[in-house]
Amino acid sequence: MPRLPLGEWVDSSVDWLQAQFSWLFDAVSTGVTGLYDGIDTVLSAPQPLLFAGILAVVAWWLRGLAAGVMAFAGFALVDAVQLWDEAMATLSLVLVATLVTLVIAVPLGIWAARSKTVSAVLRPVLDFMQTMPAMVYLIPGIIFFGVGVVPGIIATIVFALPPGVRMTELGIRQVDGELVEAAEAFGTTPRNTLLRVQLPLALPTIMAGVNQVIMLGLSMVVIAGMVGGGGLGGAVYRAIGNVDIGLGFEAGVSIVVLAMYLDRMTGALGRQVSPLGRRAAAKARAALSAKRPGAKLWAHRPQPVTALVGVVVLALVAGGSGLLGSGGAGSATASGAKGGNGKKISIGYIPWDEGIASTYLWKELLERRGYEVDTKQLEAGALYTGLAGGQLDFQTDAWLPVTHAQYWEKYRNKLEDLGSWYGPTSLELSVPSYVKGVDSLADLKGKAGQFKGRIVGIEPSAGMMGILKDKVLKEYGLEGEYEVVDGSTPGMLAELKRAYERKEPVVVTLWSPHWAYAAHDLKKLDDPKGSWGKGDGVHTLARKGFAGENPEVGTWLKNFELTEKQLTDLEAVIQKTGKGKEQQAVRTWLDSNPGLADKLAPQ
Amino acid sequence: MSRLQADHLYKVFGRRPDEAVRRLAVGDTDREELRAEGTTAAVVDAGFTVEPGQIFVVMGLSGSGKSTLLRMLNGLLEPTAGRVLFDGRDLTALSPRDLRAVRSTKISMVFQHFALFPHRNVLENAGYGLEVQGVPRAERETRAAEALELCGLAGWEKSWPDELSGGMQQRVGLARALATDADLLLMDESFSALDPLIRRDMQDQLLVLQQRLKKTIVFITHDLNEAMRLGDRIAVMRDGRIVQLGTAEDILVRPADDYVASFIQDVDRSRVLTASAVMAEGATPADCPADCACEAVGPDTLVADLCAVAARAPHPVTVADSDGAVLGVVPTERLLAVMGGLGATEADLAPEAGYAAAKAPKLPPAPRPPAAPQAPEPPGEPRAVPAAKDAEEVTARA
Repeated sequence: MPRLPLGEWVDSSVDWLQAQFSWLFDAVSTGVTGLYDGIDTVLSAPQPLLFAGILAVVAWWLRGLAAGVMAFAGFALVDAVQLWDEAMATLSLVLVATLVTLVIAVPLGIWAARSKTVSAVLRPVLDFMQTMPAMVYLIPGIIFFGVGVVPGIIATIVFALPPGVRMTELGIRQVDGELVEAAEAFGTTPRNTLLRVQLPLALPTIMAGVNQVIMLGLSMVVIAGMVGGGGLGGAVYRAIGNVDIGLGFEAGVSIVVLAMYLDRMTGALGRQVSPLGRRAAAKARAALSAKRPGAKLWAHRPQPVTALVGVVVLALVAGGSGLLGSGGAGSATASGAKGGNGKKISIGYIPWDEGIASTYLWKELLERRGYEVDTKQLEAGALYTGLAGGQLDFQTDAWLPVTHAQYWEKYRNKLEDLGSWYGPTSLELSVPSYVKGVDSLADLKGKAGQFKGRIVGIEPSAGMMGILKDKVLKEYGLEGEYEVVDGSTPGMLAELKRAYERKEPVVVTLWSPHWAYAAHDLKKLDDPKGSWGKGDGVHTLARKGFAGENPEVGTWLKNFELTEKQLTDLEAVIQKTGKGKEQQAVRTWLDSNPGLADKLAPQ
Repeated sequence: MSRLQADHLYKVFGRRPDEAVRRLAVGDTDREELRAEGTTAAVVDAGFTVEPGQIFVVMGLSGSGKSTLLRMLNGLLEPTAGRVLFDGRDLTALSPRDLRAVRSTKISMVFQHFALFPHRNVLENAGYGLEVQGVPRAERETRAAEALELCGLAGWEKSWPDELSGGMQQRVGLARALATDADLLLMDESFSALDPLIRRDMQDQLLVLQQRLKKTIVFITHDLNEAMRLGDRIAVMRDGRIVQLGTAEDILVRPADDYVASFIQDVDRSRVLTASAVMAEGATPADCPADCACEAVGPDTLVADLCAVAARAPHPVTVADSDGAVLGVVPTERLLAVMGGLGATEADLAPEAGYAAAKAPKLPPAPRPPAAPQAPEPPGEPRAVPAAKDAEEVTARA
């Protein structure tokens, strides 16, 4: 069987599409971003608790007092774990994705319901969209639309579209044929048959589809977080990367709160907007109040007018306070404006400790020099793609020449290396220091039983995994004795943590610098044969042309350098200050290192 | 001019329908052969006319093509061949827009499972046709309420379809059809989904309404009793073809073939045949003295009622017209022969060859519907007592 170059075709067609239709992708990107920014501005303008109140009144109106109270409690919890802004960003993302999905899905569903051919053509396409792993089209998504919320939203749309189309088609198809015939028999036009008979009767099913679209959208926010979508997904992604169980749980619970709220509200809305649903609800209420008069209080729902007045009053209050709040923020930025004249710079980073530390260090430094800095947290592939596409200006966490070799190979023509600011790094196998008698790679031989014959690895695609399997094991004669377990970095770190706490022997793939060395007492295994090769440097990479356009920043970045002590200190301060306050930690650290700011970014 | 005329109508589903029609028309093929080829001839060469004010019933078993035929009459299905003339206009030649206009103003339809819109209340359902016509709300509601009142549903306007019984739902369906004031009413097995008592009730109501409104009605049913009760003229369909076309009496007395004959076994003939159909030639019987207390009957008296009269009379019953002129007599033997399923025109109880006669002894007892007001009923006629029962008693004594 000859190799079918399917992947190459896809590669070249992606390139071709990007070249031919970049205007279209740009337009889509601008439109979606505008929609997202608009909704996000509105949602995050009010005081969190006031907005929670608005959402609670909506819940009260749609489902009853109990639902209202629960909604308020849920959103208050989100605010209490300081994930409010993230939650609103996620809500905006889901709303935009749902909106766009429905605008596409409902007409498609109607079309499919009316034509067997369309239905037959659509079915495999929908299957493809729904089952294709999202990560596969995320990277092309970044190539087309750039990093940020847009590829996340597009991925969500692609994933959530099928149930929207299917449920619309199903809803219309399952409308009793005799009813449609009756409408036709009385001379109804096809258009009115659709609007007056089929759609109203299909509405409960279509609303169930809307509900599914929203739920699938929420399930995609974590993946969107990997390509710079931010929000709760970004928080979850970062928590995974750092094995921060607490943050992961908080962000997860916040997603659950959002999901439950949206699920219950769309369900109730489905009953409210469809005439059949209203009819069924009225019957159920009559039956309930006849059976349990006491249930009335909790099921009590205000009149729509009352609910509307409540929402409007809260919204006005919220709008007023939001205006005041944004006014204050505006004056704060104004006072800081200097040399950069508000020029916008976008930094991308992988949520690793040295990445976070250096990124926020530069964010603070550049803002002090009058630039407007925007940071985006991304997965490594997404980061390089975004940088190559020009949506990001620079990143400070490129491990070259070894670890990130494959990304560098792919995009070297579109990137500019501003040099290494830290190094050398090293790759190694490590064991907890309580494991006695194993100090070098050679010592591992014959001790497979102790380690259950396993070396806990990371992503099989990572450069160091290749080196480990092809070179290190061979040269130390460990082949056959040890099995390298493919997995993920978070998985490796979790396994390390678990074993460490039980004082079990474990051997993991690790690299320096890494916070794990600060968190645990570990031993790097010596490599007398030098199998791992020379270490990487942590480089700053910019998009092609960035340094030329911004000679001042370019020079600063080229001269950027940190010592191991400086980096570990900064990382420690960030850890201590807590998540979400990275920039504040950077300020504290800069204050304790007087003169450093001027050295790094001389005026 | 007849109101509705069907002219060599064909409906063929499947591949190359025109080809199939051509072969069917010259007798080159039949339905089974076509079916084997994957083509379904639902209606084959159907032709009939319906006069204004008539109830035309199409009777046939399921799969006989009667519903397909009905849907060609208002253009829901386009005939493969043939024409439908409605008030002289060829519906098959109309554009979709004109066809919709005809459907919304001139032809309305009542469905087997009522087809009420569950998201509209009773009044909105009844006013649907008017809404399609674009009648303003106020007028629409007045006219819909009138139609509902006509169908005995005054006071139910604000109810929802799912709150009504089957019979009441179908009254709404009828009101919806009547509200548009269409000339032609198409009724597709409209009473088949109702239980027998309600069904009979609805039939009565339809006949009463028809006396008042004089609509032209095409009524589809699989129930020959219903067909005979309602139909001024009846078309019996089998395998897509109309096998017999005539009045109830024609079909009962002169079934066109064994198929039709096998159908009429189950018919309560006493409620279809009239005195004029069973009477023999003759003058007032000899054993009837001038002061005899016996009653004479009119020529339109149903045999069911005639039996009751015969049971009380000591001699054959006289059939007289409204002026008192004697038209004929009905001897008891003759009545029994008719009730027994023998051809009524063969007067003398001669054993009759043919399907009906052979099966006659095994006839099941006639169905015994409750005595309900019979619809087109000459006023002042003696009212029927439990007729079928009487007839049975008579049979037993004989």
